[in-house]
Amino acid sequence: MWLPVLGLIIGVILGLMTDIKVPDEYSNYLSIAVLAALDTLFGGVRAQLQNIYDEKVFVSGFFFNILLAASLAFLGVHLGVDLYLAAVFAFGVRLFQNIAVIRRILIAKWSQNREKTEKNDI
Amino acid sequence: MDSKKKFSFTFITVVIGFMIAIQFQTVKEPAVRDTRDTWQLRADILKEKELQLKLLREISSNEEKIAQYETKRKQSKEQVLRETLEELKREAGLSEVTGPGIIISIEPVHEELLLGKQADSVSPDLLKRLVNELNMYDAQHISIGGRRIINTTVIRDINRETMIDGFALNHLPIEVKVITENAQSAEKLFNRMQVSNSAEEFFIDNLRVKVEKSAEPITIPAYDEALRIRYMEPVKPDEGGKS
Repeated sequence: MWLPVLGLIIGVILGLMTDIKVPDEYSNYLSIAVLAALDTLFGGVRAQLQNIYDEKVFVSGFFFNILLAASLAFLGVHLGVDLYLAAVFAFGVRLFQNIAVIRRILIAKWSQNREKTEKNDI
Repeated sequence: MDSKKKFSFTFITVVIGFMIAIQFQTVKEPAVRDTRDTWQLRADILKEKELQLKLLREISSNEEKIAQYETKRKQSKEQVLRETLEELKREAGLSEVTGPGIIISIEPVHEELLLGKQADSVSPDLLKRLVNELNMYDAQHISIGGRRIINTTVIRDINRETMIDGFALNHLPIEVKVITENAQSAEKLFNRMQVSNSAEEFFIDNLRVKVEKSAEPITIPAYDEALRIRYMEPVKPDEGGKS
């Protein structure tokens, strides 16, 4: 459980330490890729909590979503339409939904645990 | 969750963390916040303005220098010599000239076609006569069929072809461009050529002369060969005007 969090922290530290900067015109792509990655991450967490986690789906979804989002943004830039907004919208909505589901599951688990402990106390 | 799954999950989170950190660094560009107060800002503005003033002063002094050099160059002997050279070149026919003038076209008389006899070239004598006439009426620059006529130009018959400085003139119609000093003299020349005898003389050779006034300035090409002057000598001051 703590290993992924540790990985996240390691990743952040690595990123901060390497001092890499993306050129301004590409920061759009990176932001949308980050959004896609976050979406996939929370999707994975939710799937794990619902016991329907599939590693292949998770890993492939991660890379595929990032590529799709970036290429959508690229297409948008070349067509003159802000297509990346579509990706932002889709990922944003899904992010919220996933987080909501995770919260419900966690709350349900927590209340179950409390009922158990109360029963044990009695 | 088995260890393999955990490993892949961790790998993905590392990547995500890396991406987030980079994005964070990219977005967070002005790392130092501006915390100067009004007086500090004023002082900074003053400093910048002084710099601006200094730069402006430098620019104006440089511009002044440029202007000085320009006037010096203009007044220098070199410039005078250059101008004289340009003028002489223009007079000698070594530079392209544009100005007001007339265009004379020499073409075969079409009616002669019916008689089966057609003029195919212009005789050099006629051309010489035409050039002399033009010069008489204040023509300044003349070209015949795109060849510039200068003082040393030879118009002659070589193997029954009329040559101007060695270039054959066998395509009728021939265009003769004449540039005069100004529009007025162009008008005068036009009127004179309308009534000149040369038209009749050309007509005897089955050629028709058409004189046109050109609304736009005429351009006459430069003489493009080296000038060979063999028998010319500068006049010595004390001998001048004897002959």
